[in-house]
Amino acid sequence: MSIHEPIKVDMPLRDRLLASEQLMEETGCYDGITELRLRKQDPLKYETLHTKLRATCVSAREMARRISASPGVREVGEMVVAIYTPEGDAVALSNGIMVHVHTMSRFIKWMIKNGYEQNPGINDGDIFANNDAFIGTVQVPDVMDVMPIYWEGELVGWAGAVCHELESGGITPGGDVCLAQERFTEGLFVCAEKIGSNDEIRRDYVIRCERNLRMPIYWVLDEQAKVASCIEMREGVKNIIREVGIDYWKRVMKEFIEEGRRGQLARARQLTVPGIYRGHTFYGHVTEGKQGFQPLGPMDWLYNIPLELTITRDGKMKLDYEGTQPWGYHSMNCTPAGMDGGMFVTLTQHMNFEGLVNDGAWMATELNLPHGTWTNPDNEMVATATSWALLLPSYGVFQRLLSRSFIARGFVEEAFVGQVNSPMIEMGGTSQYGTPFGMAHFECAAAGSGALAIKDGLDTAYVGWNPESDMGNIEIWEQNMPMVYIGRSILPDSGGAGKYRGGCSFISTWLINKTDHLRLVTSEHSSRVFDNAGMCGGYPAPTCQKHRAVREPNLAERIEARQPLPHGIGHDGRELELLEGEHVLVEGPYIEKPHKAGDIFTHSYNGGGGFGDVLERDPVKTAEDVENGFLTQAAARSVYGIVVAEGEEGRWHADLTATEALRRERRAERLARARPVAEWMAEQSARTAARDFAPEVCAMYREAMKLSPKFRADFIAFWNLPADFEMETAP
Amino acid sequence: MTAYSKDVIAELIEGKLPWHDTRRIMSAYKDDDRFDKAIAALQDRVKWKEPILLPVSSHLFIADTANGRVTRCECGHEFGHWKKNWKLSAVVLVRDSEERLAEIYPTSDLPDPAWMELREFICPSCGHLHEVEACAPGYPVVHDFEPDLEGFYEDWLGRRLPPEPEPAA
Repeated sequence: MSIHEPIKVDMPLRDRLLASEQLMEETGCYDGITELRLRKQDPLKYETLHTKLRATCVSAREMARRISASPGVREVGEMVVAIYTPEGDAVALSNGIMVHVHTMSRFIKWMIKNGYEQNPGINDGDIFANNDAFIGTVQVPDVMDVMPIYWEGELVGWAGAVCHELESGGITPGGDVCLAQERFTEGLFVCAEKIGSNDEIRRDYVIRCERNLRMPIYWVLDEQAKVASCIEMREGVKNIIREVGIDYWKRVMKEFIEEGRRGQLARARQLTVPGIYRGHTFYGHVTEGKQGFQPLGPMDWLYNIPLELTITRDGKMKLDYEGTQPWGYHSMNCTPAGMDGGMFVTLTQHMNFEGLVNDGAWMATELNLPHGTWTNPDNEMVATATSWALLLPSYGVFQRLLSRSFIARGFVEEAFVGQVNSPMIEMGGTSQYGTPFGMAHFECAAAGSGALAIKDGLDTAYVGWNPESDMGNIEIWEQNMPMVYIGRSILPDSGGAGKYRGGCSFISTWLINKTDHLRLVTSEHSSRVFDNAGMCGGYPAPTCQKHRAVREPNLAERIEARQPLPHGIGHDGRELELLEGEHVLVEGPYIEKPHKAGDIFTHSYNGGGGFGDVLERDPVKTAEDVENGFLTQAAARSVYGIVVAEGEEGRWHADLTATEALRRERRAERLARARPVAEWMAEQSARTAARDFAPEVCAMYREAMKLSPKFRADFIAFWNLPADFEMETAP
Repeated sequence: MTAYSKDVIAELIEGKLPWHDTRRIMSAYKDDDRFDKAIAALQDRVKWKEPILLPVSSHLFIADTANGRVTRCECGHEFGHWKKNWKLSAVVLVRDSEERLAEIYPTSDLPDPAWMELREFICPSCGHLHEVEACAPGYPVVHDFEPDLEGFYEDWLGRRLPPEPEPAA
């Protein structure tokens, strides 16, 4: 045989996948399923089967959470499981971090398309793992395992499970490796690897994990948990096949997906209004002068994230990120898999709250992720360790765009200002038990949500990536990290202002305990710009707050003298001043020298954006908010024009007459201070022509224009600039 | 089929429906006649009679008036033709200094006004704050929503979109 002759290999699964894609292309229906025949024949049997499949997934996840040792999985539920078709499309899923239902789909398809049937081979009992975002996940700590499901020698599906690992062995401890600027410092990669066979994880794989992670017990036991859940689902599917027969199974899983696709289109037509919706958000990263960051690119940078949503007349949703920034030497790049996942988890919360939730919903959408941007890097060596930093704000925009469509249609109860970043803190060094350790603290999974169009947002109870948000119990975190809480409290004024305020976030204050070496690291820290927004007149929630710490404070002395201790930063941000010691105030990611026992550290999470005009907020509700610590008296007056006072027994009340007068004054003041937009635009046009902006702002425009001729054309047209305008940095 | 009275929908829109009723509506199958009930409730709320075709924000509507098909504030102020970006006909208060930002964020760390500003788009007649943009200085004003009115009425609602009135001379 000539070496030039193509080797003919038999890969039925790959052929099937390509045929399935072709059928979708030709018929517009999933796998060419143009008719829901089984559903029509016996709807009860069909629905019952789907319920059983879903129950199988939910039960497998709950069982697996009891095997895991990680508080991330056990406490806050950072896990999801799903059942897939042989081609890798999700049929049914559990609750949990649903973002990964579709990223796992990409992983399975990647293996099929890359000839895994031939080498390394796909057999009954095999275990495949992956945490490479360019193959199919969001970030390194999201490690997924999939196992094929065989029936009489034929591959008839896949079972998959994902856990978010608390430690991934990167350059900084934890999983959201803030310091990673390229792939090579993100930690332990498992790239679509066969890690086990005959239902057993390979010993050499476990050894690799044990020798490359700071806290391998979490990763390794999570592997056991995931494999157990996959086996549970596999056996569940086999039982179903025994019950309904293999031919029914093969057809019904395809019909489930096609129904999911049709359901999404129908819900769009039921809940929204067709048209074009636009919005944007921003993200600012500040690393200049911080130790550890390599000078590979700009040290401080500003990202714009514009988003255009088109809802077509057939109910299809098309999202377009045209005009956003290029990928960079930082950890916040994302891959198309992550972007797909973000879309999927957002849709499950807003539109797929009933009916058949599966990959069909995703098939009814379309994403334009411009090549070379952070959403779709043209370099697979880039880091994606903290891609949530940009993913969350960008899908927060999507939520606001969708919400405008709900409002237009009259479904105000579904409108929601959206998700926000919730900056994670990670720790490493020597534990309170004298052992090396490293882990992410997952209380961040309970930020404030954006407001709704009819009520305030949820306080300390929501993050976008996991609709089942939970901050976990303090005692569990104290068991696992060398610190004790001296405070965990609502952060007043942390929700964006509005007729309905955004949900408030919280602040934790820790006393470092029983260690002489504790590294504290944070990421997702947009302090210079809002990375969220309000809606219909509501304001964004505050930017990410600065870090406040005290090194070597005189805490023991104060305890001895029975003097008051700080339990947070107080309403004026000065409560820590009760302590003597080295006071530290840090903007942006916290990459400082290690802490030791006795030090105090505070960390705040983010609130959500507000909805509606602040001058319409209910004064009585505002008094209750002041009484309960969600708002300060100062904000009630300054932001809302509401006069509140403390009465007997600490009860606060609103002075309605004084409020009415103050609000009249505020409205008049507003009109007196505001200018016609045309007048302001003329002034801003001249400013833009003169490039009178901070260097980071100029750089942002320059990069957006370079990547997107459309952004450039729109920008030039809006400000009436000459056609050859370039945004070089101002002299 | 799920359906609610206009009064219930009106209370829902105003945020005055008791929580347990709101919760029930959120969890139930959606009501197919919602759009018409919502429009009727909003039409009762505004102080003018010209027909609302579509809400585009909580207090902004596309309506057919003597001046043609326009974007109209709840107070009756008109921002021009519905296809134009209403923001360009509003008045704006820009918070581009720490002092101005601190009025809204009195107890929090502030963004850097060299990187970010708040633009408050306000009705010049009633002073209602309709929309806040948080963006870098120099960012073009966003046209939030361009509805496909014809597609919505004709394809989705299955009824004729009323002909666009000619503006009075």
